[in-house]
Amino acid sequence: MTGERIHVGRVDEIPHGGRIVDVRGMSIGLFRFGEEVSAVLNICPHELAPVCKGIQRGTSLPSAPGEYIWGREDEILACPWHQWEFDLRTGQSLTDPKVRVRTFPVEIEHGDVFIRLRSRG
Amino acid sequence: MHGSIIDTDIHVNYIPEQVAGYLSEPYRSRFLGGNRGPGVQGYWNPGGVIRADAVTDDGDRIASHPETLARHFFDAERIEYGLINPEGAIHIGVSPDLDYSAALLSAINDHMIHDWLPVDSRLRLSIGIGPNDPVAAAKEIRRVGGEPGVVQALMGSGARIAYGQRFYHPIYEAAQEVGIPVAIHPGNEGVGITGPTSAAGYASNYFEWHSGLVTSYITHLISLINEGVFVRYPDLKFVLVEGGVSWLPPLMWRMDKNWKALRMTVPWLTEPPSQTIARHVRLTTQPIEEPDNPRHLAQMLEMFDYDQMLMFSSDFPHWDGDTPDFAARFIPKEHRQRVMSETARELYRLPERLV
Repeated sequence: MTGERIHVGRVDEIPHGGRIVDVRGMSIGLFRFGEEVSAVLNICPHELAPVCKGIQRGTSLPSAPGEYIWGREDEILACPWHQWEFDLRTGQSLTDPKVRVRTFPVEIEHGDVFIRLRSRG
Repeated sequence: MHGSIIDTDIHVNYIPEQVAGYLSEPYRSRFLGGNRGPGVQGYWNPGGVIRADAVTDDGDRIASHPETLARHFFDAERIEYGLINPEGAIHIGVSPDLDYSAALLSAINDHMIHDWLPVDSRLRLSIGIGPNDPVAAAKEIRRVGGEPGVVQALMGSGARIAYGQRFYHPIYEAAQEVGIPVAIHPGNEGVGITGPTSAAGYASNYFEWHSGLVTSYITHLISLINEGVFVRYPDLKFVLVEGGVSWLPPLMWRMDKNWKALRMTVPWLTEPPSQTIARHVRLTTQPIEEPDNPRHLAQMLEMFDYDQMLMFSSDFPHWDGDTPDFAARFIPKEHRQRVMSETARELYRLPERLV
């Protein structure tokens, strides 16, 4: 993994719902789900909303009409403006394969969280 | 228009005494006594709904007999196939008297099947069904939906609840099973137990009512998608007859936008609604919108898969009909034949024939 490695705090400092940090003038949201941490640029690709101020939650999985199957708890980020849903693992929009939020590689060492500034892909 | 023409919306003026032959008592006496259904709204169309010129030399209506319809309309306009939508059925279908409604619809269907369809091989039929008794409607679809020449089941676009709701699903289950599309046609808004002509109450006159017919179509289409009807019934096709055309692209954009935002609330929709609509929904042309610049309509058509979705209809013998030549001029040449005949041929499985 190339790119500058920056310490952005400790895992246990990230509350449910995420924590927004400033990294070299960029607003980046950190989100915990299970043992993993995701780092998301705080800009929604749709209308440039502060996407990381949205809701971290699960979502309704594909189902039969009239049924709801809740899943992926904490792995979804819903933008506060239009509620577009993004997969926190990949940044991918759940509805449009052409759309994603920018994410940064995360490394966790002994409870410390580091991100790499060069984005994946 | 030199290519084939398949007309997806034609009306007939059935003769009550002939329909009565398929009714048993007490409905037979009731019907012949003049009590024929919930009536109409009473809006005034000064020229009449049926074209004053749609008569034969002896003054009889062209659409009162299959022979005259065939000779004076099919022959004259070179119609390869013509689909009869018995418009009286959509009014009868919203009668509050469900048993009489079902009996009368069956009688009309039987009359058309036995006394009309055999007369001319170009004739095709939509059977009338009553949406307010979906179990009876499903039974009727299974009873006559597979008869030769029957290609569709028809309901009015005026309804007391939107057509996606699960109340109606027995109709769609039966239609899918028999293999015919379900169509809606305007005319019964505000009639019987449909409720007001619009979501904001009753139109004041024919102009207001006729200009706003699209509102119920929009409501039904959104409902059909929202309730997952095409997820439950993946082989079902739904035809929007005489509901207008150019409103569709903006509605699809709106639905796709809202799906991106609210997919979580409708997780059975696993693709943008516009894609589902393109596969399952068909529209008919008449009354075609007539912008001052015809190019503007062509642009609207290019905003959806009109080559797969749009089907020519004349609405003969109604006052606001379009002739094949007139409608064809609005359709870009590239896909004109798709609209004038081929999409309908596929949907209704009509074999090619020499005109």
